[in-house]
Amino acid sequence: MKKIEAKQIYKNFQDLQVLKGIDLEVGEGEVVAVIGPSGSGKSTLLRCLNKLETINSGTIIIDGETLVSTTAAGQVQYAPGNESIRIATKMGMVFQQFNLFPHMTVLENLIEAPVHVQKRPVAEATRDAEALLQKVGLLEKRDVYPRRLSGGQQQRVAIARALAMHPDIMLFDEPTSSLDPELTGEVLKTMRNLAEENMTMVVVTHEMGFAKEVARKVIFMADGIVQEQGTPVEIFEHPHNERLQAFLKSILK
Amino acid sequence: MDYILSIIPQMLMGTVDTLKLFFVTIVLSIPLGIFLAMGRVSAFKWLRSAISGYVWLLRGTPLMLQLLFVYYGLPFIPVIGIRMDDFPAAVLAFVLNYAAYFCEIFRAGIQSIPVGQYEAARTLGMNYSQTMRRIVLPQVFKIILPPVSNETITLVKDTSLIYVLAMNDLLRTTRNLVQRDFNIMPFLVAAVFYLVMTLFLTYMFNRLEKRFSRYD
Repeated sequence: MKKIEAKQIYKNFQDLQVLKGIDLEVGEGEVVAVIGPSGSGKSTLLRCLNKLETINSGTIIIDGETLVSTTAAGQVQYAPGNESIRIATKMGMVFQQFNLFPHMTVLENLIEAPVHVQKRPVAEATRDAEALLQKVGLLEKRDVYPRRLSGGQQQRVAIARALAMHPDIMLFDEPTSSLDPELTGEVLKTMRNLAEENMTMVVVTHEMGFAKEVARKVIFMADGIVQEQGTPVEIFEHPHNERLQAFLKSILK
Repeated sequence: MDYILSIIPQMLMGTVDTLKLFFVTIVLSIPLGIFLAMGRVSAFKWLRSAISGYVWLLRGTPLMLQLLFVYYGLPFIPVIGIRMDDFPAAVLAFVLNYAAYFCEIFRAGIQSIPVGQYEAARTLGMNYSQTMRRIVLPQVFKIILPPVSNETITLVKDTSLIYVLAMNDLLRTTRNLVQRDFNIMPFLVAAVFYLVMTLFLTYMFNRLEKRFSRYD
């Protein structure tokens, strides 16, 4: 069963074409790493999947439900308001800048949406949140405000916050790019654990180690198109595409 | 000393009028300012322009002029010509004027919240009103506390402008006493009254700022 099916995604920012006909398929429990030089459109692709950006053309089907489709006449049709929110929130998202709510404690960050969006009882949401904090190793920080945490800890809280909504899919937008190198390990470990629990994940990343070891499929993007995709071995050991070969050479230096 | 004690009851009466205007203005102009600010940053261009025009007009003319216009000018406007008592007229002028200032303060506050906060709220399924109420505005309140405190203290003193409507606020009461008794002591007492009010406000805002700083 496909969890994400995106077909022929086009996206412009004014005159700038950022995505030029992207196809992406993600199966259940699959971990897909999206790599590529900056400006290649990989973050934009991720943001189109959960409607943080609206597309100019194409089809996105999440877990069998159509978020957006395009008619033969080129008319882009999103699912109506509440429907598209429901479909988009099947995906949790983790941002490069964490985006925790600074005026709320760690626990309050985690229960905010379960209580106010999903209308779950506070006690139940709290139990759930504590279990998640345990999982990311930060239970003892439950009553601390985000500013008191290191970047790595903040990002782990952000992962737990997204998981608290019980998403089917997790999207990671360069989750370690704004972290000091010594803090990336703890975040990658949390993501690895999640992958081992068969969470479906799409990860835009510069961490080639993670892409190699955890991803089942690696997608290389440049200039708004998928240049090459395949298993980590295919991509990293036997690259065919010239752009990919150049990219791998440049990051190994 | 006996003289001071003898004028205090009258001056307290004047202070009551001053405080009434102060509280009604605060209670009405801050929420109005928040709504205007939300319109000022909304997606509707006509609404944004209309509110900028409003702010420009109300900040660009003297409050005293607005006060005189509402009280003496409005009755002569064709069709809507309304004649108001002095207190409602004063409230109307003060609320309209202060809402314009609060609008600008809140607009700056709202715009200083990073876009990532809205995006995080959105990926968690929160709608616009939940995002504003629970995520954006609580952070805005912390940022805008110092300028709001400033405006509020200015308002205490600005209330003395209702002097021109012949209302017996603290300032006019004082002035009457000075003229009646040929004694400038009431001026000093009035200064102390104003200082006590602003001191109290300063104290309250400091406490609020301390409360909001807990997440730094």
